[in-house]
Amino acid sequence: MIEVENLTKKYGALTAVDRISFKTKPGEIVGLLGPNGAGKTTTMRMLTGFLPPTEGSARISGHDIDTDSIEARRAVGYMPERIPVYPDMTVRAYVTFWARLRGMRRPASQVDKVLKQVQLFDRRDTLIRHLSKGMRQRLGLAQALVHDPPVIILDEPTIGIDPQQVIEVRETVRALRANHTVLLSTHILSEAEHVCDRVLIINKGQIVAQGKPGDLREKLQGGALLYVEIGGATAKDAKALLAGIPNVTSVEKEDKGWRLRISTSVDVRGEVSKRIMSAGYTLLEMRAETTSLEAIFLELISKEGSAT
Amino acid sequence: MSTWVVFRREVAHYAGSPFAYLIAFAILVLTGLLFREELVATETTIPNPAVIPNALSFFMVVFAPLLTMRLVAEEKREGTLELLLTAPVPDGSIVIGKFLGAWFYYTIVIGITLLYQIALSSVTAPDLGHTIAAYIGIWLYGGATLSVGILFSALTENQIVAAFLSMVALFLLWLADLAGQVISNIDAARVVRALSLQGHYSTSFAVGLVRMEDMVFFLGIILIMIYLATRAVESNRWR
Repeated sequence: MIEVENLTKKYGALTAVDRISFKTKPGEIVGLLGPNGAGKTTTMRMLTGFLPPTEGSARISGHDIDTDSIEARRAVGYMPERIPVYPDMTVRAYVTFWARLRGMRRPASQVDKVLKQVQLFDRRDTLIRHLSKGMRQRLGLAQALVHDPPVIILDEPTIGIDPQQVIEVRETVRALRANHTVLLSTHILSEAEHVCDRVLIINKGQIVAQGKPGDLREKLQGGALLYVEIGGATAKDAKALLAGIPNVTSVEKEDKGWRLRISTSVDVRGEVSKRIMSAGYTLLEMRAETTSLEAIFLELISKEGSAT
Repeated sequence: MSTWVVFRREVAHYAGSPFAYLIAFAILVLTGLLFREELVATETTIPNPAVIPNALSFFMVVFAPLLTMRLVAEEKREGTLELLLTAPVPDGSIVIGKFLGAWFYYTIVIGITLLYQIALSSVTAPDLGHTIAAYIGIWLYGGATLSVGILFSALTENQIVAAFLSMVALFLLWLADLAGQVISNIDAARVVRALSLQGHYSTSFAVGLVRMEDMVFFLGIILIMIYLATRAVESNRWR
Protein backbone atom coordinates (compact mmCIF):
# COMPACT_ATOMS: atom_id res chain seq x y z
CA MET A 1 0.00 0.00 0.00
CA ILE A 2 1.33 3.42 -0.94
CA GLU A 3 0.20 6.68 0.64
CA VAL A 4 1.59 9.87 -0.83
CA GLU A 5 0.96 13.33 0.56
CA ASN A 6 2.08 16.53 -1.12
CA LEU A 7 5.25 14.89 -2.32
CA THR A 8 7.55 17.47 -3.90
CA LYS A 9 10.99 17.32 -5.45
CA LYS A 10 12.89 20.39 -6.50
CA TYR A 11 16.17 20.43 -8.38
CA GLY A 12 17.33 23.98 -7.74
CA ALA A 13 14.79 26.22 -9.43
CA LEU A 14 13.16 23.34 -11.30
CA THR A 15 10.24 21.61 -9.63
CA ALA A 16 10.22 18.07 -10.99
CA VAL A 17 7.38 16.81 -8.82
CA ASP A 18 4.88 19.30 -7.46
CA ARG A 19 2.73 18.36 -4.44
CA ILE A 20 1.55 14.99 -5.63
CA SER A 21 -0.93 13.12 -3.43
CA PHE A 22 -2.50 9.73 -3.97
CA LYS A 23 -3.23 6.44 -2.27
CA THR A 24 -3.29 2.92 -3.55
CA LYS A 25 -5.24 -0.03 -2.25
CA PRO A 26 -3.73 -3.48 -1.79
CA GLY A 27 -4.04 -5.55 -4.93
CA GLU A 28 -4.39 -2.52 -7.15
CA ILE A 29 -2.39 -1.78 -10.28
CA VAL A 30 -1.94 1.95 -10.60
CA GLY A 31 -0.44 3.56 -13.66
CA LEU A 32 1.49 6.81 -13.72
CA LEU A 33 0.89 8.16 -17.16
CA GLY A 34 2.64 11.13 -18.64
CA PRO A 35 5.03 12.40 -21.29
CA ASN A 36 8.78 12.11 -20.83
CA GLY A 37 10.00 14.52 -18.20
CA ALA A 38 6.64 14.72 -16.44
CA GLY A 39 8.11 13.58 -13.14
CA LYS A 40 7.20 9.89 -13.21
CA THR A 41 10.71 8.58 -12.59
CA THR A 42 11.44 11.19 -9.93
CA THR A 43 8.24 10.22 -8.09
CA MET A 44 9.24 6.57 -8.20
CA ARG A 45 12.78 7.31 -7.09
CA MET A 46 11.43 9.08 -4.04
CA LEU A 47 9.08 6.21 -3.21
CA THR A 48 11.87 3.65 -3.51
CA GLY A 49 14.11 5.60 -1.13
CA PHE A 50 16.70 6.53 -3.75
CA LEU A 51 16.01 10.28 -3.65
CA PRO A 52 14.87 12.17 -0.55
CA PRO A 53 11.80 14.35 -1.16
CA THR A 54 12.16 18.12 -0.86
CA GLU A 55 8.78 18.41 0.82
CA GLY A 56 5.84 16.24 1.67
CA SER A 57 5.78 12.66 2.80
CA ALA A 58 5.00 9.17 1.63
CA ARG A 59 4.45 5.86 3.36
CA ILE A 60 5.01 2.38 2.03
CA SER A 61 3.04 -0.24 3.97
CA GLY A 62 2.86 2.26 6.82
CA HIS A 63 6.60 3.04 6.89
CA ASP A 64 7.56 6.64 6.24
CA ILE A 65 10.10 6.88 3.41
CA ASP A 66 12.00 9.58 5.26
CA THR A 67 12.02 8.61 8.94
CA ASP A 68 11.75 4.84 8.49
CA SER A 69 13.58 4.52 5.20
CA ILE A 70 15.12 1.06 5.68
CA GLU A 71 11.78 -0.57 6.55
CA ALA A 72 10.03 1.28 3.72
CA ARG A 73 12.71 0.09 1.27
CA ARG A 74 12.30 -3.47 2.52
CA ALA A 75 8.62 -3.31 1.51
CA VAL A 76 9.39 -2.28 -2.08
CA GLY A 77 10.51 -4.14 -5.16
CA TYR A 78 11.83 -1.75 -7.78
CA MET A 79 12.62 -2.11 -11.44
CA PRO A 80 14.28 1.01 -12.85
CA GLU A 81 13.73 2.04 -16.45
CA ARG A 82 17.17 0.91 -17.58
CA ILE A 83 17.55 -2.58 -16.15
CA PRO A 84 20.69 -2.51 -14.04
CA VAL A 85 22.62 -5.74 -14.46
CA TYR A 86 25.94 -7.29 -13.61
CA PRO A 87 26.88 -8.81 -16.99
CA ASP A 88 29.41 -11.16 -15.42
CA MET A 89 26.87 -12.89 -13.16
CA THR A 90 24.58 -15.76 -13.98
CA VAL A 91 20.84 -15.24 -13.89
CA ARG A 92 20.47 -17.19 -10.68
CA ALA A 93 23.46 -15.59 -8.93
CA TYR A 94 22.08 -12.15 -9.79
CA VAL A 95 18.62 -12.77 -8.39
CA THR A 96 20.11 -14.51 -5.34
CA PHE A 97 22.35 -11.50 -4.70
CA TRP A 98 19.39 -9.12 -4.56
CA ALA A 99 17.37 -11.53 -2.44
CA ARG A 100 20.18 -11.74 0.11
CA LEU A 101 20.81 -8.01 0.11
CA ARG A 102 17.15 -7.49 0.94
CA GLY A 103 17.49 -9.73 3.95
CA MET A 104 16.56 -13.24 2.78
CA ARG A 105 18.73 -15.83 4.45
CA ARG A 106 18.00 -18.90 2.36
CA PRO A 107 16.65 -17.56 -0.90
CA ALA A 108 17.29 -20.59 -3.15
CA SER A 109 13.73 -21.91 -3.40
CA GLN A 110 12.25 -18.42 -3.70
CA VAL A 111 14.76 -17.57 -6.45
CA ASP A 112 13.76 -20.68 -8.41
CA LYS A 113 10.09 -19.84 -7.97
CA VAL A 114 10.51 -16.31 -9.25
CA LEU A 115 12.65 -17.45 -12.19
CA LYS A 116 9.88 -19.85 -13.18
CA GLN A 117 7.35 -17.08 -12.82
CA VAL A 118 9.20 -14.88 -15.33
CA GLN A 119 10.14 -17.85 -17.53
CA LEU A 120 13.87 -17.60 -17.03
CA PHE A 121 14.30 -20.86 -15.13
CA ASP A 122 15.75 -22.60 -18.20
CA ARG A 123 18.33 -19.83 -18.43
CA ARG A 124 19.28 -19.84 -14.76
CA ASP A 125 22.94 -20.65 -15.43
CA THR A 126 23.34 -18.28 -18.39
CA LEU A 127 25.58 -15.25 -17.97
CA ILE A 128 23.52 -12.09 -18.05
CA ARG A 129 25.68 -10.66 -20.84
CA HIS A 130 24.20 -13.32 -23.15
CA LEU A 131 20.54 -12.45 -22.44
CA SER A 132 18.33 -10.67 -24.96
CA LYS A 133 16.68 -7.36 -24.16
CA GLY A 134 13.36 -9.00 -23.39
CA MET A 135 14.99 -11.53 -21.08
CA ARG A 136 16.81 -8.77 -19.25
CA GLN A 137 13.49 -7.04 -18.78
CA ARG A 138 12.08 -10.17 -17.19
CA LEU A 139 15.23 -10.51 -15.11
CA GLY A 140 14.62 -6.96 -13.86
CA LEU A 141 11.15 -8.04 -12.88
CA ALA A 142 12.51 -11.13 -11.14
CA GLN A 143 14.85 -9.12 -8.90
CA ALA A 144 11.96 -6.80 -8.00
CA LEU A 145 9.75 -9.72 -6.99
CA VAL A 146 12.21 -12.05 -5.33
CA HIS A 147 11.81 -10.84 -1.73
CA ASP A 148 8.02 -10.89 -2.14
CA PRO A 149 7.46 -7.21 -1.28
CA PRO A 150 3.93 -5.87 -0.75
CA VAL A 151 4.62 -2.97 -3.12
CA ILE A 152 6.17 -3.26 -6.56
CA ILE A 153 7.30 -0.21 -8.49
CA LEU A 154 8.05 -0.60 -12.18
CA ASP A 155 9.46 2.24 -14.25
CA GLU A 156 8.46 1.83 -17.91
CA PRO A 157 8.40 -1.99 -17.74
CA THR A 158 7.74 -2.51 -21.45
CA ILE A 159 10.04 0.04 -23.02
CA GLY A 160 12.28 -1.10 -25.85
CA ILE A 161 11.13 -4.71 -26.19
CA ASP A 162 9.29 -6.40 -29.02
CA PRO A 163 5.48 -6.72 -29.10
CA GLN A 164 5.41 -10.39 -28.16
CA GLN A 165 7.55 -9.70 -25.11
CA VAL A 166 5.42 -6.68 -24.25
CA ILE A 167 2.42 -8.97 -24.00
CA GLU A 168 4.33 -11.40 -21.80
CA VAL A 169 5.49 -8.67 -19.45
CA ARG A 170 1.98 -7.24 -19.23
CA GLU A 171 0.56 -10.63 -18.39
CA THR A 172 3.15 -11.13 -15.68
CA VAL A 173 2.30 -7.72 -14.25
CA ARG A 174 -1.45 -8.43 -14.32
CA ALA A 175 -0.81 -11.66 -12.45
CA LEU A 176 0.97 -9.78 -9.67
CA ARG A 177 -2.14 -8.01 -8.45
CA ALA A 178 -3.23 -11.04 -6.44
CA ASN A 179 -0.57 -10.44 -3.79
CA HIS A 180 0.96 -7.06 -4.49
CA THR A 181 0.22 -3.43 -5.04
CA VAL A 182 1.80 -2.36 -8.30
CA LEU A 183 2.74 1.15 -9.34
CA LEU A 184 3.96 1.38 -12.90
CA SER A 185 4.81 4.26 -15.15
CA THR A 186 4.31 4.43 -18.86
CA HIS A 187 3.93 6.93 -21.62
CA ILE A 188 1.99 4.45 -23.74
CA LEU A 189 -1.71 4.97 -23.19
CA SER A 190 -2.98 1.68 -24.49
CA GLU A 191 -0.72 0.02 -21.98
CA ALA A 192 -2.25 1.93 -19.10
CA GLU A 193 -5.70 0.97 -20.39
CA HIS A 194 -4.83 -2.71 -20.65
CA VAL A 195 -2.90 -3.18 -17.45
CA CYS A 196 -4.01 -0.65 -14.87
CA ASP A 197 -7.01 -0.54 -12.56
CA ARG A 198 -6.48 3.14 -12.06
CA VAL A 199 -4.53 5.77 -13.92
CA LEU A 200 -2.94 8.97 -12.67
CA ILE A 201 -2.19 11.33 -15.50
CA ILE A 202 0.79 13.41 -14.61
CA ASN A 203 2.20 16.38 -16.42
CA LYS A 204 4.83 18.91 -15.38
CA GLY A 205 5.04 17.30 -11.97
CA GLN A 206 1.35 17.49 -11.15
CA ILE A 207 -1.53 15.05 -11.31
CA VAL A 208 -3.90 16.50 -13.88
CA ALA A 209 -6.51 13.74 -13.89
CA GLN A 210 -7.09 10.39 -12.27
CA GLY A 211 -9.55 7.53 -12.30
CA LYS A 212 -10.32 4.18 -13.89
CA PRO A 213 -9.29 4.19 -17.54
CA GLY A 214 -12.95 3.78 -18.63
CA ASP A 215 -14.29 6.46 -16.29
CA LEU A 216 -11.57 8.87 -17.26
CA ARG A 217 -12.50 8.52 -20.87
CA GLU A 218 -16.19 9.01 -20.21
CA LYS A 219 -15.67 11.97 -17.97
CA LEU A 220 -13.37 13.77 -20.33
CA GLN A 221 -15.14 13.09 -23.57
CA GLY A 222 -18.53 13.94 -22.01
CA GLY A 223 -20.64 10.84 -22.58
CA ALA A 224 -20.46 7.98 -25.06
CA LEU A 225 -20.24 8.15 -28.84
CA LEU A 226 -22.23 6.09 -31.29
CA TYR A 227 -21.68 5.77 -35.04
CA VAL A 228 -24.78 5.01 -37.13
CA GLU A 229 -25.21 4.48 -40.87
CA ILE A 230 -28.70 4.57 -42.35
CA GLY A 231 -29.86 3.34 -45.76
CA GLY A 232 -32.79 4.80 -47.70
CA ALA A 233 -33.08 8.16 -46.00
CA THR A 234 -32.08 11.63 -47.12
CA ALA A 235 -29.50 13.36 -45.06
CA LYS A 236 -32.03 15.80 -43.70
CA ASP A 237 -34.56 13.13 -42.69
CA ALA A 238 -31.91 10.94 -41.12
CA LYS A 239 -30.53 13.78 -39.07
CA ALA A 240 -33.97 14.80 -37.86
CA LEU A 241 -34.80 11.22 -36.93
CA LEU A 242 -31.62 10.71 -34.96
CA ALA A 243 -31.80 14.04 -33.21
CA GLY A 244 -35.29 13.14 -31.98
CA ILE A 245 -34.03 10.19 -29.96
CA PRO A 246 -33.94 10.80 -26.18
CA ASN A 247 -30.52 11.30 -24.59
CA VAL A 248 -28.90 12.15 -27.93
CA THR A 249 -27.30 15.53 -27.45
CA SER A 250 -25.79 16.08 -30.85
CA VAL A 251 -25.71 14.54 -34.31
CA GLU A 252 -22.81 15.14 -36.67
CA LYS A 253 -22.16 13.95 -40.20
CA GLU A 254 -19.26 11.53 -40.32
CA ASP A 255 -18.20 9.78 -43.55
CA LYS A 256 -21.29 8.01 -44.82
CA GLY A 257 -23.09 7.98 -41.49
CA TRP A 258 -23.63 9.97 -38.35
CA ARG A 259 -21.93 10.34 -35.04
CA LEU A 260 -24.26 10.63 -32.06
CA ARG A 261 -23.13 12.01 -28.75
CA ILE A 262 -25.07 10.43 -25.90
CA SER A 263 -25.56 12.53 -22.80
CA THR A 264 -25.19 9.81 -20.20
CA SER A 265 -23.93 6.29 -20.27
CA VAL A 266 -27.39 4.83 -21.01
CA ASP A 267 -27.51 2.33 -23.81
CA VAL A 268 -29.60 3.89 -26.60
CA ARG A 269 -28.77 1.34 -29.29
CA GLY A 270 -32.11 -0.49 -29.02
CA GLU A 271 -34.01 2.73 -29.34
CA VAL A 272 -31.97 3.86 -32.33
CA SER A 273 -32.49 0.69 -34.29
CA LYS A 274 -36.22 0.56 -33.41
CA ARG A 275 -36.80 4.11 -34.66
CA ILE A 276 -34.91 3.56 -37.88
CA MET A 277 -36.91 0.40 -38.62
CA SER A 278 -40.28 1.96 -37.86
CA ALA A 279 -39.48 4.93 -40.11
CA GLY A 280 -38.96 2.45 -42.93
CA TYR A 281 -35.17 2.88 -43.35
CA THR A 282 -32.50 0.25 -43.07
CA LEU A 283 -29.80 0.20 -40.44
CA LEU A 284 -26.53 -0.47 -42.26
CA GLU A 285 -24.11 -0.07 -39.40
CA MET A 286 -24.05 0.85 -35.76
CA ARG A 287 -21.07 0.78 -33.42
CA ALA A 288 -19.97 2.37 -30.18
CA GLU A 289 -17.01 4.68 -30.66
CA THR A 290 -14.35 5.29 -28.11
CA THR A 291 -11.96 8.13 -27.99
CA SER A 292 -8.72 6.56 -26.95
CA LEU A 293 -7.06 7.77 -23.82
CA GLU A 294 -4.50 9.06 -26.23
CA ALA A 295 -6.80 11.82 -27.44
CA ILE A 296 -7.84 12.69 -23.90
CA PHE A 297 -4.28 12.77 -22.84
CA LEU A 298 -3.22 15.11 -25.62
CA GLU A 299 -6.19 17.33 -24.86
CA LEU A 300 -5.32 17.51 -21.19
CA ILE A 301 -1.72 18.23 -21.86
CA SER A 302 -2.38 20.91 -24.42
CA LYS A 303 -4.86 22.54 -21.99
CA GLU A 304 -2.12 22.57 -19.40
CA GLY A 305 0.25 24.02 -21.91
CA SER A 306 -2.06 26.86 -22.94
CA ALA A 307 -2.87 27.66 -19.33
CA THR A 308 0.71 28.40 -18.43
CA MET B 1 24.86 -9.18 6.93
CA SER B 2 24.57 -6.82 3.97
CA THR B 3 28.31 -6.15 4.15
CA TRP B 4 28.86 -9.90 3.92
CA VAL B 5 26.55 -10.16 0.88
CA VAL B 6 28.39 -7.37 -0.94
CA PHE B 7 31.78 -8.81 0.10
CA ARG B 8 30.85 -12.21 -1.32
CA ARG B 9 29.76 -10.71 -4.61
CA GLU B 10 33.02 -8.76 -4.93
CA VAL B 11 35.14 -11.82 -4.15
CA ALA B 12 33.14 -13.82 -6.69
CA HIS B 13 33.75 -11.05 -9.20
CA TYR B 14 37.51 -11.08 -8.65
CA ALA B 15 37.54 -14.86 -8.86
CA GLY B 16 35.81 -14.73 -12.26
CA SER B 17 37.49 -11.68 -13.71
CA PRO B 18 40.30 -12.18 -16.26
CA PHE B 19 41.52 -8.67 -15.46
CA ALA B 20 41.99 -9.53 -11.78
CA TYR B 21 44.01 -12.61 -12.77
CA LEU B 22 46.10 -10.46 -15.05
CA ILE B 23 46.95 -8.13 -12.19
CA ALA B 24 47.81 -11.05 -9.91
CA PHE B 25 49.95 -12.45 -12.72
CA ALA B 26 51.79 -9.14 -13.13
CA ILE B 27 52.42 -8.86 -9.39
CA LEU B 28 53.71 -12.42 -9.20
CA VAL B 29 55.96 -12.09 -12.25
CA LEU B 30 57.52 -8.88 -10.97
CA THR B 31 58.03 -10.19 -7.44
CA GLY B 32 59.24 -13.48 -8.91
CA LEU B 33 61.99 -11.75 -10.89
CA LEU B 34 63.10 -9.90 -7.77
CA PHE B 35 63.09 -13.10 -5.81
CA ARG B 36 65.34 -14.73 -8.37
CA GLU B 37 67.88 -11.92 -7.90
CA GLU B 38 67.52 -12.40 -4.19
CA LEU B 39 68.09 -16.11 -4.43
CA VAL B 40 71.25 -15.61 -6.50
CA ALA B 41 72.52 -13.10 -3.95
CA THR B 42 72.16 -15.58 -1.09
CA GLU B 43 75.39 -17.15 -2.32
CA THR B 44 77.36 -14.13 -1.14
CA THR B 45 75.19 -12.12 1.28
CA ILE B 46 72.61 -12.53 4.03
CA PRO B 47 69.18 -12.13 2.42
CA ASN B 48 66.77 -9.35 3.34
CA PRO B 49 63.41 -11.04 3.95
CA ALA B 50 61.58 -7.75 3.31
CA VAL B 51 62.64 -7.51 -0.34
CA ILE B 52 59.28 -8.69 -1.75
CA PRO B 53 57.13 -6.54 0.61
CA ASN B 54 59.36 -3.53 -0.15
CA ALA B 55 58.78 -4.00 -3.85
CA LEU B 56 55.03 -4.36 -3.27
CA SER B 57 55.03 -1.04 -1.46
CA PHE B 58 55.86 0.59 -4.77
CA PHE B 59 53.87 -1.76 -7.02
CA MET B 60 50.67 -0.98 -5.12
CA VAL B 61 50.84 2.63 -6.29
CA VAL B 62 49.99 1.21 -9.70
CA PHE B 63 48.06 -1.94 -8.86
CA ALA B 64 45.73 -0.69 -6.10
CA PRO B 65 44.02 1.75 -8.49
CA LEU B 66 43.66 -1.01 -11.10
CA LEU B 67 42.10 -3.36 -8.55
CA THR B 68 39.64 -0.81 -7.19
CA MET B 69 38.76 1.45 -10.13
CA ARG B 70 35.61 -0.44 -11.06
CA LEU B 71 34.25 -0.97 -7.55
CA VAL B 72 31.85 1.97 -7.42
CA ALA B 73 32.38 3.65 -10.79
CA GLU B 74 31.02 0.67 -12.68
CA GLU B 75 27.93 0.43 -10.48
CA LYS B 76 27.27 4.06 -11.24
CA ARG B 77 27.68 3.67 -14.98
CA GLU B 78 25.61 0.50 -15.21
CA GLY B 79 22.86 1.95 -13.03
CA THR B 80 23.12 -0.82 -10.45
CA LEU B 81 24.03 1.80 -7.85
CA GLU B 82 20.44 3.03 -8.01
CA LEU B 83 19.21 -0.44 -7.06
CA LEU B 84 21.87 -0.79 -4.36
CA LEU B 85 20.77 2.50 -2.85
CA THR B 86 17.15 1.35 -2.77
CA ALA B 87 18.07 -1.87 -0.97
CA PRO B 88 17.25 -1.85 2.75
CA VAL B 89 20.88 -1.49 3.82
CA PRO B 90 23.03 1.40 5.08
CA ASP B 91 25.16 3.03 2.36
CA GLY B 92 28.30 2.38 4.40
CA SER B 93 27.81 -1.39 4.40
CA ILE B 94 28.00 -1.39 0.59
CA VAL B 95 31.31 0.51 0.56
CA ILE B 96 32.76 -1.59 3.41
CA GLY B 97 31.76 -4.84 1.68
CA LYS B 98 33.43 -3.72 -1.52
CA PHE B 99 36.58 -2.59 0.26
CA LEU B 100 36.87 -5.84 2.18
CA GLY B 101 36.39 -7.77 -1.06
CA ALA B 102 39.34 -5.95 -2.65
CA TRP B 103 41.46 -6.34 0.46
CA PHE B 104 40.68 -10.05 0.59
CA TYR B 105 41.79 -10.49 -3.02
CA TYR B 106 44.99 -8.58 -2.27
CA THR B 107 45.57 -10.76 0.80
CA ILE B 108 45.40 -13.88 -1.35
CA VAL B 109 47.85 -12.46 -3.87
CA ILE B 110 50.43 -11.49 -1.23
CA GLY B 111 49.72 -14.83 0.42
CA ILE B 112 51.00 -16.51 -2.73
CA THR B 113 54.28 -14.58 -2.46
CA LEU B 114 54.84 -16.32 0.89
CA LEU B 115 55.91 -19.27 -1.26
CA TYR B 116 59.10 -17.31 -2.01
CA GLN B 117 59.77 -17.04 1.71
CA ILE B 118 59.33 -20.77 2.10
CA ALA B 119 61.72 -21.37 -0.79
CA LEU B 120 64.16 -18.90 0.73
CA SER B 121 64.12 -20.61 4.10
CA SER B 122 65.07 -23.87 2.39
CA VAL B 123 68.38 -22.46 1.13
CA THR B 124 69.25 -20.08 3.95
CA ALA B 125 67.93 -19.03 7.35
CA PRO B 126 66.05 -15.72 7.00
CA ASP B 127 64.98 -13.79 10.09
CA LEU B 128 61.42 -15.06 10.57
CA GLY B 129 60.36 -12.16 12.81
CA HIS B 130 61.59 -9.70 10.22
CA THR B 131 59.59 -11.51 7.54
CA ILE B 132 56.40 -11.51 9.58
CA ALA B 133 56.73 -7.82 10.47
CA ALA B 134 57.28 -6.87 6.83
CA TYR B 135 54.25 -8.87 5.73
CA ILE B 136 51.99 -7.37 8.41
CA GLY B 137 53.20 -3.98 7.23
CA ILE B 138 52.59 -4.56 3.55
CA TRP B 139 49.19 -6.05 4.27
CA LEU B 140 48.06 -2.90 6.10
CA TYR B 141 49.86 -0.70 3.57
CA GLY B 142 48.00 -2.45 0.75
CA GLY B 143 44.69 -1.99 2.55
CA ALA B 144 45.38 1.74 2.80
CA THR B 145 46.21 2.04 -0.92
CA LEU B 146 43.06 0.11 -1.82
CA SER B 147 40.93 2.41 0.34
CA VAL B 148 42.35 5.42 -1.54
CA GLY B 149 41.40 3.63 -4.78
CA ILE B 150 37.82 3.05 -3.68
CA LEU B 151 37.41 6.71 -2.75
CA PHE B 152 38.37 7.82 -6.25
CA SER B 153 36.18 5.12 -7.75
CA ALA B 154 33.26 6.58 -5.79
CA LEU B 155 33.99 10.08 -7.06
CA THR B 156 33.56 9.39 -10.76
CA GLU B 157 31.72 7.04 -13.05
CA ASN B 158 34.68 6.77 -15.39
CA GLN B 159 36.98 3.93 -14.36
CA ILE B 160 39.99 5.31 -16.23
CA VAL B 161 39.65 8.66 -14.51
CA ALA B 162 39.27 6.90 -11.17
CA ALA B 163 42.42 4.85 -11.75
CA PHE B 164 44.42 7.83 -12.96
CA LEU B 165 43.44 10.07 -10.05
CA SER B 166 44.16 7.45 -7.43
CA MET B 167 47.52 6.66 -9.04
CA VAL B 168 48.42 10.34 -8.83
CA ALA B 169 47.26 10.51 -5.21
CA LEU B 170 49.17 7.38 -4.22
CA PHE B 171 52.27 8.46 -6.08
CA LEU B 172 52.22 11.77 -4.18
CA LEU B 173 51.80 9.91 -0.89
CA TRP B 174 54.69 7.70 -1.89
CA LEU B 175 56.87 10.63 -3.01
CA ALA B 176 56.15 12.51 0.21
CA ASP B 177 58.65 10.23 1.88
CA LEU B 178 61.41 11.29 -0.52
CA ALA B 179 60.35 14.91 -0.13
CA GLY B 180 60.65 14.47 3.61
CA GLN B 181 64.25 13.37 3.17
CA VAL B 182 65.30 16.42 1.17
CA ILE B 183 63.44 19.13 3.08
CA SER B 184 66.04 21.05 5.09
CA ASN B 185 63.66 22.20 7.83
CA ILE B 186 63.63 19.23 10.19
CA ASP B 187 60.18 19.86 11.66
CA ALA B 188 58.56 20.28 8.26
CA ALA B 189 60.32 17.17 7.04
CA ARG B 190 59.00 15.18 9.97
CA VAL B 191 55.43 16.31 9.30
CA VAL B 192 55.68 15.38 5.62
CA ARG B 193 57.18 12.01 6.45
CA ALA B 194 54.52 11.36 9.08
CA LEU B 195 51.85 11.80 6.41
CA SER B 196 53.45 9.57 3.79
CA LEU B 197 52.72 5.89 3.29
CA GLN B 198 56.41 5.03 3.03
CA GLY B 199 57.20 6.97 6.17
CA HIS B 200 55.16 4.45 8.14
CA TYR B 201 56.56 1.45 6.37
CA SER B 202 60.17 1.77 5.21
CA THR B 203 61.70 2.62 8.59
CA SER B 204 59.54 0.31 10.70
CA PHE B 205 57.85 -2.76 9.20
CA ALA B 206 60.51 -3.03 6.49
CA VAL B 207 63.28 -3.38 9.08
CA GLY B 208 61.30 -5.77 11.25
CA LEU B 209 59.62 -3.31 13.60
CA VAL B 210 55.90 -3.51 14.33
CA ARG B 211 54.90 -0.22 15.92
CA MET B 212 51.44 0.71 17.13
CA GLU B 213 51.62 4.21 15.62
CA ASP B 214 52.19 2.80 12.13
CA MET B 215 49.32 0.33 12.42
CA VAL B 216 47.05 3.13 13.65
CA PHE B 217 48.18 5.28 10.74
CA PHE B 218 47.23 2.69 8.10
CA LEU B 219 43.96 1.72 9.78
CA GLY B 220 43.16 5.41 10.21
CA ILE B 221 43.71 6.02 6.48
CA ILE B 222 41.40 3.10 5.70
CA LEU B 223 38.64 4.40 8.00
CA ILE B 224 38.87 7.94 6.69
CA MET B 225 38.85 6.83 3.05
CA ILE B 226 35.87 4.52 3.61
CA TYR B 227 34.01 7.31 5.36
CA LEU B 228 34.69 9.72 2.50
CA ALA B 229 33.80 7.10 -0.11
CA THR B 230 30.50 6.46 1.69
CA ARG B 231 29.71 10.16 1.58
CA ALA B 232 30.59 10.20 -2.12
CA VAL B 233 28.22 7.27 -2.74
CA GLU B 234 25.54 9.02 -0.70
CA SER B 235 25.93 12.14 -2.82
CA ASN B 236 24.23 10.28 -5.66
CA ARG B 237 21.02 10.78 -3.74
CA TRP B 238 21.35 14.55 -3.82
CA ARG B 239 21.09 14.89 -7.58
